[in-house]
Amino acid sequence: MPSTLVEKLAAVVGPDHVATGVALSPYVIEGRTPEAAVFPGTVDDVRAVLGVAAALAVPVVPWGGGTAAGVGMPTTWSGLVLGLGRLNRILEHEPGDLTVTAEAGVTIAQLQAALGAKGQWLSLDPPDADRATVGGVIAANASGPRRHLYGTARDLLIGVSVVTAEGEVVRGGGKVVKNVAGYDLPKLYIGSYGTLGIVVEATFKLRPRPDDERFVPVMLSSVKDAGAALRSVMGSDLVPTVLELLDADAARALGVTAAAALVVGFDGLTEQIDWQATELARIAAAHGGRTGAALGGGATARLATAARDACPAAASVMRLSVLPTQVAETIEHGGAAAKARGLTSAWSAHAGVGVVTAVLAAPDVARATDIAAVLGEWRGVARAGGGFATLEWAPLAVKASVPVWDDLGAAGRVMQRIKAELDPNNLLNPGRFVGGM
Amino acid sequence: MTHATTEPTAATGPLTLGGLSVEGVNQCVHCGLCLASCPTFSELGTEMDSPRGRIFLIKSLAEGRMTMSDSVVSHLSLCLDCRACETVCPAGVPYGRLIEAAKAEVERVRPGSLARRIFRWLNFGLLLRHPALLRFFALKLRFYQTSGLQRLVRATGFARLLPGTLPAWEALLPRIPAGASRAPLPRLIPADGARRARVALLEGCVQSVVFGDHNRATARVLAKNGVEVVVPAGPGCCGALNAHGGDHAGAVEMAKTTIAAFERDDVDAIVVNTSGCGAHMKAYGHLLEHDAAWAERARRFAATVQDFAEFLAREPLRGPLRPVPITVTYHDPCHVVHGQKIRRQPRELLAQIPGLTVVDLPESDWCCGSAGIYNLTQPEMATRLLERKVAHVLATGAEAVVTANPGCILQIQQGLAARGRDVRVMHIVELLDRACGP
Amino acid sequence: MAPLSNDRKRALRPELDALVGTDGVLSDPDELLVYESDGLTLFRALADFVVFPRSAEQVAAVVKLANREDLPFVARGAGTGLSGGCLPAEGGIVLSLMRMNRVLEVDYDNQIAVVEPGLVNLHLSWRVGPQGYYYAPDPSSQQACTIGGNIANNSGGPHTLKYGVTTNHVLGLEVVMPDGEILWLGGKTRETPGYDVTGVFVGSEGTFGIATKIVVRILKKPQAVKTVLAVFDQVEHASAAVSEIIARGLVPAAIEMIDHLTIQAVEDAFGCGYPRDAAAALLIEVDGLAVGMDAQTERIVAACRERGARDTRVARDEAERQLLWKGRKSAFGAYGRVSPAYMVMDGVIPRTKLPYVLGRVNEIVAAYGLRVGNVFHAGDGNLHPNILYDPRKPGEEARVVQAGAEIMKLCADVGGSISGEHGIGLEKADFMPFIFSAADLGVMARLKRAFNPTNLCNPGKIFPTKKSCGEVAVGYRPHPIEAKGLAQRF
Repeated sequence: MPSTLVEKLAAVVGPDHVATGVALSPYVIEGRTPEAAVFPGTVDDVRAVLGVAAALAVPVVPWGGGTAAGVGMPTTWSGLVLGLGRLNRILEHEPGDLTVTAEAGVTIAQLQAALGAKGQWLSLDPPDADRATVGGVIAANASGPRRHLYGTARDLLIGVSVVTAEGEVVRGGGKVVKNVAGYDLPKLYIGSYGTLGIVVEATFKLRPRPDDERFVPVMLSSVKDAGAALRSVMGSDLVPTVLELLDADAARALGVTAAAALVVGFDGLTEQIDWQATELARIAAAHGGRTGAALGGGATARLATAARDACPAAASVMRLSVLPTQVAETIEHGGAAAKARGLTSAWSAHAGVGVVTAVLAAPDVARATDIAAVLGEWRGVARAGGGFATLEWAPLAVKASVPVWDDLGAAGRVMQRIKAELDPNNLLNPGRFVGGM
Repeated sequence: MTHATTEPTAATGPLTLGGLSVEGVNQCVHCGLCLASCPTFSELGTEMDSPRGRIFLIKSLAEGRMTMSDSVVSHLSLCLDCRACETVCPAGVPYGRLIEAAKAEVERVRPGSLARRIFRWLNFGLLLRHPALLRFFALKLRFYQTSGLQRLVRATGFARLLPGTLPAWEALLPRIPAGASRAPLPRLIPADGARRARVALLEGCVQSVVFGDHNRATARVLAKNGVEVVVPAGPGCCGALNAHGGDHAGAVEMAKTTIAAFERDDVDAIVVNTSGCGAHMKAYGHLLEHDAAWAERARRFAATVQDFAEFLAREPLRGPLRPVPITVTYHDPCHVVHGQKIRRQPRELLAQIPGLTVVDLPESDWCCGSAGIYNLTQPEMATRLLERKVAHVLATGAEAVVTANPGCILQIQQGLAARGRDVRVMHIVELLDRACGP
Repeated sequence: MAPLSNDRKRALRPELDALVGTDGVLSDPDELLVYESDGLTLFRALADFVVFPRSAEQVAAVVKLANREDLPFVARGAGTGLSGGCLPAEGGIVLSLMRMNRVLEVDYDNQIAVVEPGLVNLHLSWRVGPQGYYYAPDPSSQQACTIGGNIANNSGGPHTLKYGVTTNHVLGLEVVMPDGEILWLGGKTRETPGYDVTGVFVGSEGTFGIATKIVVRILKKPQAVKTVLAVFDQVEHASAAVSEIIARGLVPAAIEMIDHLTIQAVEDAFGCGYPRDAAAALLIEVDGLAVGMDAQTERIVAACRERGARDTRVARDEAERQLLWKGRKSAFGAYGRVSPAYMVMDGVIPRTKLPYVLGRVNEIVAAYGLRVGNVFHAGDGNLHPNILYDPRKPGEEARVVQAGAEIMKLCADVGGSISGEHGIGLEKADFMPFIFSAADLGVMARLKRAFNPTNLCNPGKIFPTKKSCGEVAVGYRPHPIEAKGLAQRF
């Protein structure tokens, strides 16, 4: 009879699919090494692994592509890393239904390639698409610039299969694009960072690939002007798919030279894009700016990470959610707050939806006090306008003084009850998520 | 279900209320699309005061699931009979007929106090049936208004001492014009120029007394547009007020008188410039459908009735037209827009007047609260609706409100006056009369 | 739950009066009876009180009183729902939110509005229309239904094909929790910390609490709209045209199908211009930029022609377009013209299964000796077979319910769902096992417990119950993806 965790796991998935010792190095988070990593190949095996973990009361850290592994607090006890990379099959794609069902370990790039072959796509463009997985994108609610028009996982995920803390398979939603039978469980798991269940399969609704796509940069002479131009574009007849606002550093990372830039994406028929590009040039001129040559494929792909790319020596990354009208002001105030402490920062925003990414650069981590102070001020800026800030990435030392997650308010009590109901023994990613959930 | 309610009885025959058919309730599928169109529901938010709720009450009464309790009476009585719900009802529930049957039943079962019964008799039994008496009463009323007695009553606050809804009645008394305006029209008004049609014009009861000028203007505009107008002698009130007020028997009798009076002339159309009368006269066919001797005559008569704007808009106005350089907004009387489904024609007529600016009135097809004698019987709700209407009118910035019904004119005039605002309220025919010139 | 005794009722009345005012409480039996049903008259339930709060604080006070008295309570909007969702299944207090109908705030620059739950859906679009905006979710009852009710049911509408359903347009909610606490879920910004409790609340059919303020997105009106009416002599051809349009890479704003019987009803009602002799018509709308509109319309026309459309016609002007939509949106009610009653079904199937399922629906209904009219969101695969019947004919209602159950099973069997937009409510609680396992329902029950531990907030809905009305006894059936081995149950 297998007795240890590793033996029991090996009995379920075979010894080749259990990692221990030095093989665990890719799964070290904030210096914490898990006891083991396990790689089930079927949903049934995931269920069995959860059963083993539950029986031994070992916490489970689900792991997709690892692109968001550093988000949040390290779990209170690393326990067992549950790698979903072997669940990598696209189960069903019926082009006529515009839906796809895939396992959790399928990468976004793999999925898009398969869909593209049939003239369709999942209108979700998170960064690191070659590593980010279906399950991970759902758990971390990852998204990219095209969310401006096409929304996020919550707008596209129509069904989900989850293995619960007790090792049961639970399905929520379904395979049809419109469905109100029962509670909307898919919403529950989006952005839950694996704390409520392990996503093993997902069904998304799809779109036909557009005839054409173009990303047009607008060069402006200040962030303030960019904010004004943003407002004009939003109030216009244009239907952009992408509406990014970048400061000078982030713009430079895309090869655009300007004090501030808007990048406006269009898709559809070429004649529609042409008309919109012309209209955009008119709006740009009204704000003292001008449009540049369309971004090339490389720059388009880097759009999501422009601020990050502008600061290779990032000390922290903060994600702020504010109202669209507050984006420019947030960037101005935030940038000034960093400068006042002698630090530099780079900013980009999914401006039309008010989601701002701020990267703080510091010459050395010894500036922890300054870093913490700046991050505190940034959060203050977001909160002053009724928004929120999440410390998306930072060294542990910074996380110790600046809370990763923002205040949940009274809704936190409901969330705590949900966590207690669905993971009563607190075995799924314990302590990683907001409020210690 | 643990809280299941009593089962509706499976009725065997057609549903009736006080002998009148309410079988139309079965057309209601309870979808509720009518709710937001109902002025009383919008004000109160209570479903008993919505069309669907009232249909349910009527159905329950007919099925014997309910009796005519105080609350049922109050909800049925609060209905304006504006028929806005009919316009939006996909199932085609004949709501107007149902509520008239229900109101008749209310009167039958709950005739109310002696004073109320005397008042009803005075109106429905006497004045409306006898035009001469109505004219006599108008004379007395004019004396009250011009002699200073009215000012005295108002100044002393004596009106407030009157019982029940009488103070509201007093405030709403229409201004009775001088004698010339109350004189009957000539029996024949020849067409100007080439004759395009021959029509009979309804003078009306209250209309002829209070708004005789509108009748004169109607005749002039018609004549100017090549229409020969005959004005039959004899018909008094068409019975609409009786029908809306629950006096079914009276309504039937007056319909017959009216039909008989109009049948004497051979005309292309019977033109009516008061919406409540027009809508009601178009429904004579239904009113008399079970009266073998009258059914066919009523159907033929009803098919000939046309609203003034409906008739006139069939052809472009004959020019030359004089400019009327003012800004107006148009209020749809319920019994034009909902009762007769006439929405386009008055606007088309206004659009032809040179120099006239027409601005849209929000909720233009929303009842102003006049609704026959509703502003007298339900003054509180009527006032709420009037305030809503006046607020919309004032927001348009128009110099005048154009409409097509005496009740609306009086009601909106009073509402604007109460706000101390100098916005005119006109019948559409007054405006056309100005445009068509002398 | 034992019925409330008359003594307790008498004692509670003044307390409720004190909370919401005497003109805000109904307890007269005749008046309560008016509230016995929503838009689905198959179900009836009587409340002990109907109250009309004017603020979140009043809602909270009533909810707290209900908790103290151990009385169930349920919120009601316009009562246009089609699953019995707002009925007081176990008695208690109905909170009508019709007096909370204000637009509290409109922020055009950020494209959001804050509204109260009793606001009529269409009235929001009217309010923001002059500034060039509208509220996208457009259930067919939008002229009467409320946004609070839309939240409960996660309502859809014809234009969900392109614009999504209610949940895609709600950012935040002020909620009176089932224990009477007032708190915010989500907010005005797109991302708020923690679980997506807003997303979970939307569509919870009033079992998680009562929304008292709602932050919604408002959208810019599209520059141009074109509506195509495609006429078919065979329903199968119309179904195939739907797939053909999608296959050509088009995402119209809406694709609606209207069958022969329904065309008769709506033509009787409003004379909308649908050809009476057609077997089916598709109403297809594209919206967006004026540029390219003709090209898209041509693609749609070509797709319909290729699949056998007898005739295609583009609405000439806004008036004609509105008239066509009026017919579509009034179709349910219009059945009142051809039948004394109807039962509207609401199921969803994968689009590609349309021809098969429509054929089967007709067979099922015919086998019960009944007639069916179909009018539905073809682009979404959201079916609305409407079974026509006469409740005064003995046994007919029972046959309708049985036929309905079979249609629901059919939808489940082809990989679909038992509700696309009307909700589960009382009507379909017993059909839930068609598509959900005990484990699925178990997680839903836990989620409900997190929000509504005492189960006083709208009890008796969604979850299958043994003490149900007993029309249909249903057992567990494996979901198709399970049968294919794509998912397992334990």
